[in-house]
Amino acid sequence: MQVFGSKELLEDVINRDLCIGCGACVGRCPYFKSYKGKTAMLFECDLSEGRCFAHCPKVEVDLDSLSTTFFQKAYDGNPLGSYMEILGAKAGDKIAKAEFQNGGSVSALIALALETGLIDAAVLTDREGIIPTPRLVTNAQEVFECASSKYMAAPTLSALNNGIEQGFERMGVVATPCQATAVAKIRTNPVKRANFIDPVNLVIGLFCTWALDTRQMLSFLSDQPDMADDIRSADIRSMDIPPPPEEVMVIETGTKKTKIPLKEIRPMICESCQFCPDMTAEWSDISVGAFEGKPGWNTLVIRTKKGKNLVEEAVEKGYLQVEKIPEESIKHLAGAALNKKRNSFIKNVEKGLVNTGEKEGRSAIRLSDDVLKKITAQKENAV
Amino acid sequence: MTRLIEAEEGSRQLFMGNEAIARGALEAGMKVAAGYPGTPSSEIIENLAEVSEKAGIYVEWSANEKVAMEVAAAASFAGLRSLCVMKQNGVNVASDFLLHLAGSGTRAGMVLVPCDDPGALSSVNEGESRHFARLVEVPLLEPGDFQEAKDMVKWAFTLSEEIRNLVMVRSVTRLSHASGNVIMGNIAESKNLEAETKNSAFFKHDGFILDQMEGAVISAPVTYKHGQQHEKLKKAIEFFETSPFNTYTGPENPELLVITSSVCSLYTNEALQMLNAKDRVGLLKLGTTWPLPPKLVAKHLKMTDKILIVEEVIPFLEESVKTLAAELGPEIGVKTFFGKRDNTIPSTGELNPDIIASALSGILGIDMEPVPEAYTKRAGELAFLNAPVRDLTFCPGCPHRASFWSIKNALTMDNREGFICGDIGCYSLAMLPSGFSALKTLHSMGSGTGVASGFGKLGQFGLNQPVVSVCGDSTFFHSAMPALVNAVHHRSNLTMIILDNSGTGMTGFQPHPGLNEDALGKDAPAVDIEAVVRAAGANVTVCDPFDLAETRETVLKLLEDNNGVNVLILRQICALSPEKKGKKQFEMSVDENICVGENCGCNRLCTRIFSCPGLTWDREKKVSRIDEVICAGCGVCASICPLQAINKKEVA
Ligand SMILES: Cc1cc2nc3c(=O)[nH]c(=O)nc-3n(C[C@H](O)[C@H](O)[C@H](O)COP(=O)(O)OP(=O)(O)OC[C@H]3O[C@@H](n4cnc5c(N)ncnc54)[C@H](O)[C@@H]3O)c2cc1C
Ligand code: SF4
Ligand code: SF4
Repeated sequence: MQVFGSKELLEDVINRDLCIGCGACVGRCPYFKSYKGKTAMLFECDLSEGRCFAHCPKVEVDLDSLSTTFFQKAYDGNPLGSYMEILGAKAGDKIAKAEFQNGGSVSALIALALETGLIDAAVLTDREGIIPTPRLVTNAQEVFECASSKYMAAPTLSALNNGIEQGFERMGVVATPCQATAVAKIRTNPVKRANFIDPVNLVIGLFCTWALDTRQMLSFLSDQPDMADDIRSADIRSMDIPPPPEEVMVIETGTKKTKIPLKEIRPMICESCQFCPDMTAEWSDISVGAFEGKPGWNTLVIRTKKGKNLVEEAVEKGYLQVEKIPEESIKHLAGAALNKKRNSFIKNVEKGLVNTGEKEGRSAIRLSDDVLKKITAQKENAV
Repeated sequence: MTRLIEAEEGSRQLFMGNEAIARGALEAGMKVAAGYPGTPSSEIIENLAEVSEKAGIYVEWSANEKVAMEVAAAASFAGLRSLCVMKQNGVNVASDFLLHLAGSGTRAGMVLVPCDDPGALSSVNEGESRHFARLVEVPLLEPGDFQEAKDMVKWAFTLSEEIRNLVMVRSVTRLSHASGNVIMGNIAESKNLEAETKNSAFFKHDGFILDQMEGAVISAPVTYKHGQQHEKLKKAIEFFETSPFNTYTGPENPELLVITSSVCSLYTNEALQMLNAKDRVGLLKLGTTWPLPPKLVAKHLKMTDKILIVEEVIPFLEESVKTLAAELGPEIGVKTFFGKRDNTIPSTGELNPDIIASALSGILGIDMEPVPEAYTKRAGELAFLNAPVRDLTFCPGCPHRASFWSIKNALTMDNREGFICGDIGCYSLAMLPSGFSALKTLHSMGSGTGVASGFGKLGQFGLNQPVVSVCGDSTFFHSAMPALVNAVHHRSNLTMIILDNSGTGMTGFQPHPGLNEDALGKDAPAVDIEAVVRAAGANVTVCDPFDLAETRETVLKLLEDNNGVNVLILRQICALSPEKKGKKQFEMSVDENICVGENCGCNRLCTRIFSCPGLTWDREKKVSRIDEVICAGCGVCASICPLQAINKKEVA
């Protein structure tokens, strides 16, 4: 993996509007700060190599190298990534009701991992009004406070950096695919620090097709006559995208539920998401998403032995309830994931972001040419 | 500085130019002096303020230059000699009143001393005050040395009373701030004509309307008064024709005549000496530079065919001489002129003997080596080896560094390409790296907020960048108040940040209307900036800029607000203020074991970016350290270190 400095990060990512604001570069040094969803570089840093560049999920992502590290094999372009098993799941009887997004599996698994000591802290995403805010938590109560999805790109990983500063060494991270990619990069110690300790012991990935730009959402909602007051009082309870054919986003505040047509929401999707090839957070122990056609349930993609063990323990202790998932649903999921992968790679290639830069030395993503060809040659799936 | 009044008649004193000017005014029996601080003029008012009680005079630092001139004019109208002092561009501020004052005329002697700054040694302009003399048509004197600085000011009052109009005496940095021998005149005997007869100030205003001495003092009827003004100038010319301030030295028939004024006459003298050309070149040093005395000039122009005019900044003298030469053509014949217009003399910057010597040697065909080569070489070597490159920087412990740190960070985090409209004061330095290159416009006093008020109205054309202006406390009273009122009234979207360091820091802590002290150091009612802002109808917040986190959060919040004018007062006393100087609030230290220095994670944020001179980089150990001697103990750097390696301990 090639490592450069903040100057290159600024050129390749921030100035190209590819920054998703994941927070991987925030909190390690005084130069990067996140504010209302945007990462800003406060002053110039002249180092030729830095963790900011090394950890960024939007530049120099070497898929073969990550796959070899985490799954002991070269990257093969499988739409759902490498996995052991796919299940349907929801929080078990032992878990009290909370504002879960779908089945509450994520919160249940993290709560268990904290209780058993598998992890010593969890990196989650809370909200202040409409703005997603990173939060480092250490007990189940706090985990449930962070339940539910914030559909905006969030600087979650600044809480991971914060945890490292505080000396946590076995953290659990709940991450969107881009955030999970950054976590994977961080764990490979790309700057080759001598006394490096992997600070992460569990990654729970979230499915993701896109995220919204916080500032655009903020100003959009503030301009909605019936939302302005709730936005001002920052009393946002949940956001949901019910399954098709509804085509709306439902935002619930302390006073009401408001439906906003997705066609008004889509223009606020982060530019960077179009270049993201990952729908199911492939660099994780377990990935979790909605269970299409079964409200109140999750789809679980179990990728590692550690993930499998955690799920089994959760079932055993009544934290999780699982069931088989129909083959049809998996096919459908893989189809959607393939579309995202294919379309984004085509875009990446168009923009000269894949495997380029033998001379210039920099690229957004690297993978074998054969796999790249295989992915982009596929037909779009009807899903 | 009681020497200023106590030095006896006939004694020789080493006086700074500005002291000489002050002494000249005292010898003339001047009773009222007003000014606005600005380098290089400030010491004149300061010196007069110090002796004001002993001398029985009234001295004030006015809110701005225009007000200063108005205050001084009132004294003249009431029969008291008065003096008004400012730096070059201050005259621009005062100019509207100046124009009307020149039209109405004055009564008791009134003298305006502008101090120009050729080369902009401590200015953001190379402005000229001389052309104001021509513009508003009042006589102009330019002292060529320290003795003349005193004597000319004294005589200027006499001239002013002879012609009943304002007289300008222009100084420059190298005269105001250098020192030389001055032989004292008499203060005790000096008398103020009107005060003597009336024994007290009185403004007579019920006389005949056209009687300047007894009727209303106005510039109308304009053409009548303007005509009178021209008569006054003719009278001034009469005096100038025989003035001892105009001197000629050199042969009767020189190869070249140099016409010069001000400190350039000293430089020219030195240059002639260097070139050993005194027997070839005549030197006409003019002290009365506008309007020029035509007979005197004609007499000297006749001496030779080649004329070099030496002066700094604009070709003011050059143009006047050329105009005269054209008028005198039939009498004096065709001349060849050298000066700024043909690039013999540089058209910008300060002059010095070397520059003039090289101009002279070109015309005279002398091979010149103005500076011995060995000297140049050695000086270059020494400069290279020993002299570190020093950028202009804020002082250790300066609140402005902290303020701009937070404002700049907030603007960057806000990420909408917001910008700061700068203003005039120490904080103008924020256009340089010391202030994180934060200022994006910088013009005259008070114009930061005025320009911001304009930017803040461009929303309807799509400008959605946050607009911030900064201004100092003194600048606020000087001229930012009208801009603020304008912005409030027009609902302009902007954040005005008042950097209140409780003094006119840049020019040496002169008081301003916001402080409860006047020019004499006496108790005075302070005008509360906060209350003024509130009364104008703007929201106002006050913060301590040393609290970096709170300041940044506050600025971020204000940037969000799209609803008119928000004012933030960042209040913290200047590090050099008498209250603070030499007293450390905190004992600072750097923990070498925690400091990561150049490594990823900091990369010398404190010494590379924040760059307070109190912090130094230990090249060998590769850690930062505190320079105990320089550190002012403000404690701010403790909160910028990302690793908390910088410790502060309250000094008991
Ligand atoms: C931006 C975004 C887009 C998504 N898109 C899809 C999709 O297209 N299809 C699909 O099936 N599922 C999607 N999901 C996942 C889905 O919304 C649920 O998060 C997931 O099904 C888990 O549900 P749960 O009930 O177990 O979660 P809960 O138990 O409620 O826990 C939710 C967890 O998500 C974390 N979280 C919330 N917002 C963010 C954020 N912005 N960034 C990082 N972490 C966050 C919280 O820390 C919390 O731990 C998306 C999630 C996000 C955040
Ligand atoms: S689509 Fe990709 S880039 Fe966008 S938020 Fe999701 S994981 Fe991040
Ligand atoms: S405490 Fe720090 S910032 Fe303040 S003067 Fe000393 S070195 Fe400079």
